[in-house]
Amino acid sequence: MAEKTFTVKVEFPEGGEETFEAGAGEYILGAARRAGLQLPSLCEQGWDLACAVKIVEGEVDQSDSRRYFEEDRKCGFALICTGKACSDLVIVPYQSKQMRKCRDEHGLPAPRGT
Amino acid sequence: MAREMPHATGKVPPGDVTQRVGIEVMEARGVNVEELREKLIDAIAAEFASTYYYYTILRMYLAGHEDYKEICEDARLEDRAHFELMTPRVYELGGSLPYNLHEFADRAGCPHAYLPGTDNGQHAPEMGDGKGPSAADILEVLLDSERCAIRTWSEICDLTAGGKDPRTYDLASRILNEEIEHEAWFIELLSMERDGVVRPSGHFRRGEPGEAPYSKNRPLYNP
Ligand SMILES: [Fe+2]
Ligand SMILES: [Fe+2]
Repeated sequence: MAEKTFTVKVEFPEGGEETFEAGAGEYILGAARRAGLQLPSLCEQGWDLACAVKIVEGEVDQSDSRRYFEEDRKCGFALICTGKACSDLVIVPYQSKQMRKCRDEHGLPAPRGT
Repeated sequence: MAREMPHATGKVPPGDVTQRVGIEVMEARGVNVEELREKLIDAIAAEFASTYYYYTILRMYLAGHEDYKEICEDARLEDRAHFELMTPRVYELGGSLPYNLHEFADRAGCPHAYLPGTDNGQHAPEMGDGKGPSAADILEVLLDSERCAIRTWSEICDLTAGGKDPRTYDLASRILNEEIEHEAWFIELLSMERDGVVRPSGHFRRGEPGEAPYSKNRPLYNP
């Protein structure tokens, strides 16, 4: 049986949007790259915040990420380098500073340079 | 029209010790010095706290694989050399190490290389009767760590390349040379240990443990 796929809509902070398909078992960043969409990343292991996105709609599975907190989810952020879509998604990329602010507000660790 | 002269755009008066021409020349070339400095601190925190420290533990659990221990030792000591090589640059750029080690470890840009079987460093691994972390599990952690290091130093090189910041570029590219070697070593070892497949690193041995031929100012091993 073919893997379930979801539609991921990317809304860029400066306007404009792109859409691509992501399989249920693959990382969202990898699916974006396959579709020819360049999004930022650094460690690609779900630790630093370079690949942070705001989740406008939908659910992301972060169980493969090396450092992801419940508070991150409550603040509405995902790390797409190691996040898998669990539903259709609407996401806003380039959110590392915003995600770090959420970490700071909850006294949680984060790199400071991304 | 006169040629572009970014070195001649500065405003630091003679005798002023509150500003640095070394920073001004970078800004004149479009470097965001503060952002670069913060990235460097994250990167050296990863060298020190995510790899050097945790590789010390990983190496202890490679008992019986003396060859792997030697390679892990080279990578471990060279990561310490990377921390030492780039730390002075942080101060030159007006920064400092965090005054608290916890803060330093927390901001590392790469995952802590926890020993497998410890729930991310929460407890000792269960040992005996074939339990305990396998060599393959440990090599996987080592390989992933090196890959994060390569991505990190490549980004620093990208931000400083093209004459924007030759000094940071030189230091970062020396580190990158060794990280790329470290990845090749752990691909070779993991590939054979886990999959039984030969994937040579193509490298000769270091002259001494942690020789760091690029990141310490000594000649290359080239007999
Ligand atoms: Fe290193
Ligand atoms: Fe390394």
